[in-house]
Formats: sequence, structure tokens, C-alpha cells
Amino acid sequence: MALFPVQGIFDGDFVVLLVPVDTDDPMTVVAEKIAHHVVGRRVAAQDRPMRVRRRGEFLADDATVAESNLSPLDVLEVMYQ
Amino acid sequence: MPGLARSEWYDLTRDMNWTLSYVDPEQAWPQDLSNTYGIPAESWWGWDEPYKVTYSEYVHNQVGKDAGVYSVNSVIGRSRMFDELDPGWKSAIIAHYGAIAIPEYLAGIGESRMGRFGRAAAWRNMATFGCLDETRHGQIQTYFPYTLLNKEPRMDWAHKAAHTNEWGAIAGRHLFDDMFTANDAVSTAIQLTFTFETGFTNLQFLGMAADAMNVGDLDFGALISSIQTDEARHSQQGEPTIKVLIANGKKDVAQKLVDHMFWRSWHVFALLTGLSMDYYTPLEHRTHSFKEFMNEWIIKQFIDQFRDFGLERPWYWDEQFLGELEWYHHALHLGIWTWRPTVWWNPDAGMSPEERDWLEEKYPGWNDSFGKYWDVITANVRAGQPELTLPETFPIVCNMCQIPVVSPAGYAAGFLKTPAPLLLDLDGRRYTFCSEPCKWIFEQNPGRFKGHLGIIDRFLGGLIQPPDLGGALAYMGLSPEECGQDATNYAWAQQDRPGKNGKA
Repeated sequence: MALFPVQGIFDGDFVVLLVPVDTDDPMTVVAEKIAHHVVGRRVAAQDRPMRVRRRGEFLADDATVAESNLSPLDVLEVMYQ
Repeated sequence: MPGLARSEWYDLTRDMNWTLSYVDPEQAWPQDLSNTYGIPAESWWGWDEPYKVTYSEYVHNQVGKDAGVYSVNSVIGRSRMFDELDPGWKSAIIAHYGAIAIPEYLAGIGESRMGRFGRAAAWRNMATFGCLDETRHGQIQTYFPYTLLNKEPRMDWAHKAAHTNEWGAIAGRHLFDDMFTANDAVSTAIQLTFTFETGFTNLQFLGMAADAMNVGDLDFGALISSIQTDEARHSQQGEPTIKVLIANGKKDVAQKLVDHMFWRSWHVFALLTGLSMDYYTPLEHRTHSFKEFMNEWIIKQFIDQFRDFGLERPWYWDEQFLGELEWYHHALHLGIWTWRPTVWWNPDAGMSPEERDWLEEKYPGWNDSFGKYWDVITANVRAGQPELTLPETFPIVCNMCQIPVVSPAGYAAGFLKTPAPLLLDLDGRRYTFCSEPCKWIFEQNPGRFKGHLGIIDRFLGGLIQPPDLGGALAYMGLSPEECGQDATNYAWAQQDRPGKNGKA
């Protein structure tokens, strides 16, 4: 359990964000942490689940940061399914 | 020299070149301070400036300029002119003074370096005048805001900004160190005087002076006009330097220096001038959109110069540069407004229905690509939740231009193939770049850039404590009273008349 910085992009937003997540966070929580800075602020909310993508590949919803072989400051894209 | 026309003695007295015999030329002109790119010493002696001036003429002219512009300042200082200026315009000049005043002094270092290490006596002569110019510009652009301190305390950022770790100040130092403070004399002539001054600031100052007069800011208009007349002269050191490089088979050197600094200049220009022209200048006084200004002034002149010198357009011209012209400064405006506590001026949203109509007219598709963000922001303000418009984290900042990475906006607007930034892992450190040209500039000379810590690197490295927004603002030298706020206290969000496109 440790803070872990990622570069977060929410689909449709305009900027890349520095988002601290936790190594124990599953991707569903990572998505929420990135979306927190965007949805309802610049991008309208949708009642759909979100997914996380890295380098073009979707990560499993229940995979944690530690299990996903991420490096600090990896770029994670979050989008509605 | 009474009795002689200047043309009869000028060349003789300004051209004191000779072959060194007591010291090695490398000792007199070390490569680090004056990169000759392999061109023999005598080949530089044909360096010929297109605009001639003698010292007596220079002093006479400068005294007249100072007498005129300081008189205007003295008279206007007793009026209510500044109080009556539009809030957005005030923001534009507060931003300008903080970004430019002290770097003018720093430009004096670059001019001094050319004045000592320029490769021809005529060049050193011109650069000495340039050093005096830049000193004057530093003095005048710290004095004018000083006279406004009783009306706007943040005018002290004219002097303060460059001495802080405010993120924009870090970006400015990184750029200006690369361009002239830590650059050799030959490269400075190409990158500062040809690319940045001839290409951008000389024309920008012409436009800004006209805009200032239009909005009724006679003080700033007189100031900028006075500076521009100096810029027009000393910026011409680049042209003869490029001619020497090309004549000696070093076109590739000139091309790379221009490609490098044109991109960096473009990014800072979009940040300052793009926002000022398209968002901060009152709508009724906008004579050009930023894109029109770029196309009709900057781009046209650069293309003419590329053709005249036999240079090519930079490799990124069509795909990256012309693409960014459509979206980049709109994204920066949204970013600066969102992170407004981190700047020393009050960003003007410029989002009234009429202003949105203007943006859609000047940038067809703006409502779909950028208006959609402002729709959500406007709804939050109207719902009494302005806190949702403020940031809770930081944007990633580019490790070259030091400006927030807004590539997702370019992707969302249809101009980029991916929203993701470019990454480079080097010597155990990860670097992030906003664009291919920024990454290319870094990779041309990693040793020059890799040790620099951007604001996000400092945050992650523990240099900013406590590690939150409050700690960052303190690190940047911004007290609560100095942090930027919406310039019109959200007046734009309360206007009910829908714009032409049905957006409120």
C-alpha cells in the first residue's frame, strides 16, 4: 500500500492530469480517482461504468495497480464503456 | 566627424577586425560562448547589418524616446485611465509585465555576449546597442507598473515573477536560458534576434500597441511602441548571421537552430498572445483573431524569409504547427482559467454569449470542441458551485516547454492521433513531452536539458511541502491575495441571452 503517481486522461477532456492512486487500488477505483477531476467539472457525467486503458490495452477492472505492472507516471486513459 | 557624411566614415570606424597573434582565437572566442560552427574567422568579417546607426545617433534617438514615453506616463498617472480599463485588458498587461519585464534585462545578457563574442566587429557594435536597448526595456517595463502599484498591487509581479518558482516563471526561465542567457553568441543571433524577435515579438509589439490604443490604454500603447522601435533595429542581427552560415555551407545549422526556437517561441507566444487576443481583449476592440494574426503577420513573414534565405519550413510545419493553430491556445486558455490560483493575474473567461459567437465565427467548430467544456463549467457556476471549477490536482507539465500538456484537447478536436503525451525514459528518469517537436528538441541535446526539474518533478521529488495545492501556491510565491480569480466574478456565466448557436 503506497501512493503511486499516474498521468490520467479522461476521454473527452482537454488536459493530462497528475493523479495519485494507491498500489492496492483496483482499476475501478483508479478510474474513479481520475474521473473525479473531470466528470461534472468539464465533461458531463454518464450513467455507465468506466474502463482503464494503457498503451491501447484495457486493464482488468479488478486488477490492482501493483498487479498491473505499471511504472510511475504511466499514462492511463479512462473512458465510459 | 563634422563635415563628413556618415556613409563616408561609418564602415571604417565600425569594422575593427584583425587577425589575433598574441592569443589563440579559441581563447578569445571559446566555442561555448561563440560557436563558429567551423567557419573561419575571416569569413565572418563580411557580416553586414541592414540598419546602420552611430552612437551619437543612438543616444539622441533614445533620449527622445524616453522623454516622450515617460511624459505620457507622468500625465496619465494622474488620470483615472487605468481604473476605467476593461478587467480583461488589465489582466493582459499584468500578465505581460510579469512575463516580460525582467527577461528584458536577461536579454541584455544575450546582447552583451554577442557584443563581446560576436564574430565580427560590426556585429559587436550592433549588439552593444542591443544591450543598451534591453536594459532600457527592463527599466521602463518595471517602472511603468511601479507607477500603478497604488491601483493594482499585483503590478509588483513585473519585478517579482522572474524571481519566483511560479510555474509560468519556470517556463519563462527555461525558454530564455535556452534562447539567450545560456546560449552562445552565434546561436543567440539566430534564435533570439532572428527567430524570436524578428519572427514574433517585433510583430507582436506592433499589434499590441495598436490594441492598447484601441482599448484606450495610452500608457501601455506608448510604452510598447517605444520598445518596438528598438526591437526593429537590434533584431536585425540575425539576418546577416544566417547569411554567413548559409554562404559557408552551414544551412543545416541555421535550419536546426530556427526549427528548435520557432517551436519554443510558438508555444510561449500562444500562451501569452493567444489568450490576450482571443479572450482578454474586450470583444468590441478585437481587430484580429489570434489565428488571423498568426496567418497574416507571423506566418507570412516567416515563409517569405524562409524563401529569401533558402531555408525550408520547419519539419513540423504542416502537421504539428498548423494543426495547433486551430486548437492549442484554446486549450491553454481553459487550463489557465481552471488553474487560475496559480497565476498572478485574473484570467478573463471571455465566455459571454457574444464572445462565444465570435469564437465560433473565427474558429468554426469551436462550440463543439471547446464550448462543450464551458457549458459544464457555466452550469456549475449557475448552480452555485464555483468550487467545481477549481482544481484539486495539477496538470502534467511538458519537460521541454514547461507548459501544461493539453494534447487531449488536440485529440478531442480531431487534430491529433492520440491524446497521450510522449514519454522518454533516460538515465532512470521519466520525461513527458506535449508534442513531437518538444521531444525532438530535447533529443537533439539531452545533456542540455535533462537535469532541469519542472514544477511536477519538484512536486514528486518532495521539494514542495506540504504536497498539496496550498503548498504549491506557497512554493510559487503566491499569497491568497495574489492568486488569480475570475476577472469578472463570473458575470459571463449569468447572461441569459443564448448565442447564435443556442449555447448560453
